Amino acid sequence: MAILPILKFPEPLLKEKSAPVESVTPEISGVIDDLLDTMRASPGGVGISAPQVGVLRRIVAVDVSASKRGSREENHGLLVLINPEILAKGGRQVVREGCMSIPDYTANIERAQWVLVDAVDREGKQVILESVGFEAVAIQHEVDHLDGILFLDRVSSVKTDLFRRKKYR
Amino acid sequence: MGHFSVSVVGRDRPGIVAEVSRVLFEQGCNIEDSTCTILSGQFAMILVISHPKMAGVGDLNPAFEEVRSKMGLMVTLHALKDDEVVHEKAFSGQPHIISVYGADRPGIVYMVTKELARRKVNITDLNTQVVGSKDRPVYVMVLEVDLPEGIDMKELEREFDRIRKELNVSITLRPIETMEL
Repeated sequence: MAILPILKFPEPLLKEKSAPVESVTPEISGVIDDLLDTMRASPGGVGISAPQVGVLRRIVAVDVSASKRGSREENHGLLVLINPEILAKGGRQVVREGCMSIPDYTANIERAQWVLVDAVDREGKQVILESVGFEAVAIQHEVDHLDGILFLDRVSSVKTDLFRRKKYR
Repeated sequence: MGHFSVSVVGRDRPGIVAEVSRVLFEQGCNIEDSTCTILSGQFAMILVISHPKMAGVGDLNPAFEEVRSKMGLMVTLHALKDDEVVHEKAFSGQPHIISVYGADRPGIVYMVTKELARRKVNITDLNTQVVGSKDRPVYVMVLEVDLPEGIDMKELEREFDRIRKELNVSITLRPIETMEL
């Protein structure tokens, strides 16, 4: 278990497509432990993807129950999703997103309000889950990382949607 | 290295950015920061530029003469002191959005921003618009602000209440919650 350094844009690995996980080997389990440690070590962090620590495998972790808004909404607590695939989505919502890999900016990004996700869990079991609101945003953001998509790729207006992050102390 | 601010205003049409950036490129200037917008058909652009050698606006100013006369643009240049150019905001505070709307009438912006200034609230973004129909115009103002640490929120809410009643506008203050992913 270890807290790993987060790759920051313009690191080219962040623009790569990650490969599916074939089975949950001890090595993959180790990657998941490291991902969770790294996510929890970042202030306010509610999601992470394997490529952000330089591992190009389709693994994401999300836990919005740790955030103020996330905890007020329906959520699954800690979710580890292997080979996640968004089967369906609906509705729309705009949330101000920040990304550990793009530390200088935040952006208002339009995402689906509801998603239906197919994935494999840590035990290697197939799961299908529905997610709404804040948690659905986190899942969509992290799944994007697996395809080399950053929130900057989804900004529709630099003027109204992109914000230089203000540094605090 | 010299830094300058450049502001450009004129009737909107295609080619303004290309012309301004051509002059800057030919003069060897680097565009460090820029933004532009269109307000009621007026194109407005503000840039912070740098030049490795130039120290004053004297050399740069005449280079814009052609753009000024040919395109009818107002181009204003100012030399910036080194300590005026900051890349990170020094002000610390909690980011919030304030939205204000109501029947259009004079004084809405002033009444609200006066109270913010008095409480050392820093405005980081401001957009105002008149929407609605001609006979029932609605004024909309959206502010992004940094509330200083330790601000008395109850007292600010009371002040907003006074403005709500006085101007008959709706005012909402809410924190900007950023999802950290």
